[in-house]
Amino acid sequence: MTPRKPVDTGDPDRLYTVTGGRSRADESFDLVTLIVSESAPTPGMQSEHARILELCEHPVALVEIAAELGLPVTVVRILLGDLLDTGHITARHPRAAASVASLPDSALLQEVLHGLRNL
Amino acid sequence: MPVPASPSQHPPAGAPRTSFAARAAVLVVTAAAGGAALALAPSGATPWTLAVVLAGWACVAVTVLVDHRLVRKARATAVERESEVGRLRAEAARRSAEISHLAGATLPAVAERLREGTSAADVLSAVPPPSDPQLSRITHTFAATVEEDVRRVMTIEDEYRAIREELDEAATEHDRFVRETMPAAIGRLREGRSADTVLAETDLPHHPALRVPAESFIRELALSERRAAAAQAASAKALSRVQAKAVQMLADLRDMQERHGEEVFGDLLKLDHSTSQLGLMTDRLALLMGGRSSRAWNKPIKMESILRGAAGRIAAYQRVRLHCSTRTAVAGFAAEGVMHLLAELMDNAANFSPPIDEVHVYVEDRSAGIVVTIEDSGLKMADAAMRRAEEAVTGRVTDLASLQGTRLGLAVVGRLASKYGVSVNYRPSSRGGTGVVVLLPLHLLAQHREPAPHETAGRGESLAGRGGAARGVPVQSPSASRTSSLPARDADALPSAGSAVGSRGDVDALPVRGARDAGALPVRGSNGSGGDRDNAAEARPAAAHLPATPESPAPRTERQAAITERLAELPTVPGQGRHRQPDSTTPNGLPVRAPGRTMAEAEREREQRQSAAARSGDTSGRRGARDAGSRFGAFHRGARQSGNGGTGASGIGASGIGAPGNGAPGDGTPGADSLPPAAP
Repeated sequence: MTPRKPVDTGDPDRLYTVTGGRSRADESFDLVTLIVSESAPTPGMQSEHARILELCEHPVALVEIAAELGLPVTVVRILLGDLLDTGHITARHPRAAASVASLPDSALLQEVLHGLRNL
Repeated sequence: MPVPASPSQHPPAGAPRTSFAARAAVLVVTAAAGGAALALAPSGATPWTLAVVLAGWACVAVTVLVDHRLVRKARATAVERESEVGRLRAEAARRSAEISHLAGATLPAVAERLREGTSAADVLSAVPPPSDPQLSRITHTFAATVEEDVRRVMTIEDEYRAIREELDEAATEHDRFVRETMPAAIGRLREGRSADTVLAETDLPHHPALRVPAESFIRELALSERRAAAAQAASAKALSRVQAKAVQMLADLRDMQERHGEEVFGDLLKLDHSTSQLGLMTDRLALLMGGRSSRAWNKPIKMESILRGAAGRIAAYQRVRLHCSTRTAVAGFAAEGVMHLLAELMDNAANFSPPIDEVHVYVEDRSAGIVVTIEDSGLKMADAAMRRAEEAVTGRVTDLASLQGTRLGLAVVGRLASKYGVSVNYRPSSRGGTGVVVLLPLHLLAQHREPAPHETAGRGESLAGRGGAARGVPVQSPSASRTSSLPARDADALPSAGSAVGSRGDVDALPVRGARDAGALPVRGSNGSGGDRDNAAEARPAAAHLPATPESPAPRTERQAAITERLAELPTVPGQGRHRQPDSTTPNGLPVRAPGRTMAEAEREREQRQSAAARSGDTSGRRGARDAGSRFGAFHRGARQSGNGGTGASGIGASGIGAPGNGAPGDGTPGADSLPPAAP
């Protein structure tokens, strides 16, 4: 028998309560889909939704959101599906969103790579 | 009696005289008649006549004389008789008087004296003895009889008194036995002492009629108490194993949910739900059997999590609608109890309402604590049923004997309510069904109101304060604002454990934004006074429309500091440290306060870091630009997490709590757009 832990360090939330019992995610998101929030959180919103909206003031990849929330990707996709349906967020493909996200362009990266090789 | 005798003495005195005169007259008359006859008689017949006359007279005279003598004799006899009668009468009167005296005075007196306890001989010698020996005998007999009777009565009285005393004693003893001895003995038995101990300690009545049944009663009761206690202990023990298994299963399921993809996710959720229900059932039984809850939380749990945790344990969790916008958290020690209590009430509400209706749960922040209202729209409870429910949830009756069949939920609610001082009240619901109002008093709430953990809070926050951002209000604790004496930039770079050590006087040095935030929403600080609470309540509406302002570094800094401080103040629990990094810095150079290291050391290190950060130059330019490195780091972390599963998440949370210095986000911190790169 596994010895009982003296305390629980986990979370009392079960995932089915977070998703309201849903287990099928919206197919429109993949791991690197960039999410941008379109509105501020409203009071009374589910806390995960609110946190996603806060996280996504600048485009953030789905997988990062999952890491931040400490939730499985499937759950995050379900939550994002909710937000997308209500128009709180928009989802973009990372490539298309590259300039918006102001990522360093590939030329710069190339340059850095060269520099590193030259070291 | 001489009076009636006296008149009868005169007539005999006069009668002889008259009779004698009459007799003399008769003699004279007859003499005269004889003389006349003699004179008248022819001469020839004179002698003869004379002779006849003489003879006749002589006869008359003799007769008269004889008569006279006879009469006198008779009179003398009569007189004598008369005096005899008088004497006898006097005698009779005297005797009658004596008898009446005897009856009226002497005998009562004798009886009296005898009753007083004097012996018969003494009494008889004291009273004048009656002249008549018969009376004297009567007196003696009477005295003897009375004496005998008196003695017998006294004996009987003595016996009666003795019996009476015995009876009184027995009654007193019985009374004491019933009122004191038995309750005390039963109390001791309930405390778990053995029958022999109790029998030795108890002063049982001496009367065998009481003693024997009392002894057998105590032994029997002790046996049944022991049986009940053993059954309870065995159940609690067995249930604790089931509980541990259930908790383990929940952890495993969570692990699998992280690890496996969408194809099995739904099934895992189903299993998770079933296991949670199983946990509720075993917890319910365990609590009734005197055991413990299966889980214990070492940190404050947000109200939203409490409600979700509660709802997740019941079958019909999808019918429960939660309306929660408070940021208050329930203190860790009470979190599990409150969750269980609410779960039972939600379960009841869901079970007693139509399966299509929703159960609504409202949370209100009141000055007396948090009010949770659970309303269903089922049938109204009958008054009697509501009274029974009220009675059950007060927790006054904790005897297992009061349980009814399988309806254990309310009994558990009662126990939990009385354990934590939660008040539970039933009332008719405005929605048509029944409403339950639960008041969680202030002492159950976390001392610190949850600081709104924004995106900057990083890993430590991901467990403790997810829902805190629901309002999007920047919140900080007053104590955190003290740390703002540091230049904002430096504090930003180094939100270490030592940042909470600033003195109170430093508040003046607050950056403008920090000051505004602090003023806008004072949260219940470390002093946790009611005044702060009230202020918070007043300030909240004003603060609610403040936009979240993550683009400015200052409030973020302070939030980080607040979180760091909160984390530092959380009790370090053994078992959490296993995720802690042994180094004094994280891989990104952020300081970690090792367990046991003093605050002063941490502070020294912080100073060093601070100067290093100052040397590294202005960081403001980094704010807007997304750092590619941090992004990739976050990506890796996310990918790793989604691959590794729940252990990674809980590990991060645990390290965030356990290692106070790790309040700043670690590698990269996605979304933390203004975070400076890790210190070298």
